[in-house]
Amino acid sequence: MNGIKRNLKSLCLFWRYRELLINLTHREIAQRYKQSILGYAWVILNPLFQLLVMNFVFSTILKIPSLNVPFIIFLSVGLLPWNLFTQTLTSSTTMLVANNTLITKIYFPREILVYATMIAKIVDFLFSCLILVIFLIIFKIPPTIMLLWLPFIFVIQFFFTAGLALILASFNLFYRDIQYMLSFLLILWMYMTPILYPVEIIPYRFKFVLSLNPMAVIVNAYRQVIIGGSMPNIINLSIGFLTSLIVFLVGYSLFKKLEGEFADYV
Amino acid sequence: MSDTTSIAIQCNNVSKTYNLHKQKTFKEFIPALFSGKQTRHKFHALDVIQFSVKKGESIGIVGKNGSGKSTLLKLIAGVTQPTKGTIKINGRIAPLIELGAGFHPDLTGKENVFLNGSILGFKKKEMDTLYKHIVDFAELWEFMDQPIKFYSSGMYMRLAFSVAVAETPDILLLDEILAVGDVQFQKKCFLKIKEFQRKGTTILLVTHNTIQTEHYCQKALVLHSGKQIFFGPVKQAIETYAQSTE
Repeated sequence: MNGIKRNLKSLCLFWRYRELLINLTHREIAQRYKQSILGYAWVILNPLFQLLVMNFVFSTILKIPSLNVPFIIFLSVGLLPWNLFTQTLTSSTTMLVANNTLITKIYFPREILVYATMIAKIVDFLFSCLILVIFLIIFKIPPTIMLLWLPFIFVIQFFFTAGLALILASFNLFYRDIQYMLSFLLILWMYMTPILYPVEIIPYRFKFVLSLNPMAVIVNAYRQVIIGGSMPNIINLSIGFLTSLIVFLVGYSLFKKLEGEFADYV
Repeated sequence: MSDTTSIAIQCNNVSKTYNLHKQKTFKEFIPALFSGKQTRHKFHALDVIQFSVKKGESIGIVGKNGSGKSTLLKLIAGVTQPTKGTIKINGRIAPLIELGAGFHPDLTGKENVFLNGSILGFKKKEMDTLYKHIVDFAELWEFMDQPIKFYSSGMYMRLAFSVAVAETPDILLLDEILAVGDVQFQKKCFLKIKEFQRKGTTILLVTHNTIQTEHYCQKALVLHSGKQIFFGPVKQAIETYAQSTE
């Protein structure tokens, strides 16, 4: 009962500070490309070069099969959401530490700092999706009604990412090792997620690894609805949804529990 | 029972203990854990502080470096939680502890004003009406569309101060920042604080300058290594403080 009341109170507080979320998000987006010539175009150029190089290595040289569509489309559908995932985690992990002057001096709900990075990264992601749209047009892959699943899959990814981001951000405040470990863990995680290869070529006895990895379920669902034009695997997706909801709730309550101590440790 | 609505700040037996880690990284922490070494030691920043401030009163907080003055302001600002005891606050707090919180060098003066305003809890609508006053007070009309990294440090502080005092707060926390800008601007700052006092703002002033304390405050709290050694009329407080430093 007390817990519910406390949670409601912190939600009200969050709502009161919603404009801060907008302004901080704006700061995150605006500061990044202020002194570059191409400015916001880097949001598209970066993943584009990354895709072209990876396409050359994994399709032209290594000849990895790609489910009857050009490899570059197959790759973008997996890699762009994955980039969103890794960039969000990397920048939210250091977000609290980077804003230590705010944290030690002024009170506001701290999760706003994490959400602001998340939203800024989502804006970047939406721009980078233009690449995929252009590829889909070039290779004449028609949209289907199944694309209506996309928002739902995205919500699963959002909650999963948010939960992890809240956990990583708060732990990194106590031990900076987190930020050094993260980049290397994310690379390993990428190889264990079917981004550079299709799920279908994984040997049967190792397939169980996929069901333990929510990102694999998410990437696979994106592929099924965008490239395959078919229903995503509902059972896997429901498990993924529950998992990410649990991860988010755990992350949120952990963050809220530690929040009062942030200023003492940063 | 006194009338609770006339109380602005109420500190009941407030203590703050910091756990200082001896080990900062896993590399140091994990061996310490196995060898059974102590991984943290306690530091009492504040010990049983007890006082209350009526609305409209101005209270000075005096004490040597490290006596717990800033910790007390942080507790009242809600940035950190007391280990023991409770703090009750009535009204909106303007924490002038850190000027220009959240200012980003690449953003323009105007963008930073709105960002800083929302960190201090102002709504966009309020900010739209306050914006003109802020620029007027800071006297930076022609610089508002420049990134603030081109500002001199005086201009930076003037802008930050102007946002912080844009609206009359219920409670104002001041930490050693009355020396902003040139003599003329400092005068403006002092007048602003006098104006707040007239409008009924409760003020907590932390400074080493006992002349300022005596000038602005009716009462003062004297801290000595985390302990409250006196709370009462400002004259006696400053005498106690002078004795304690000897």
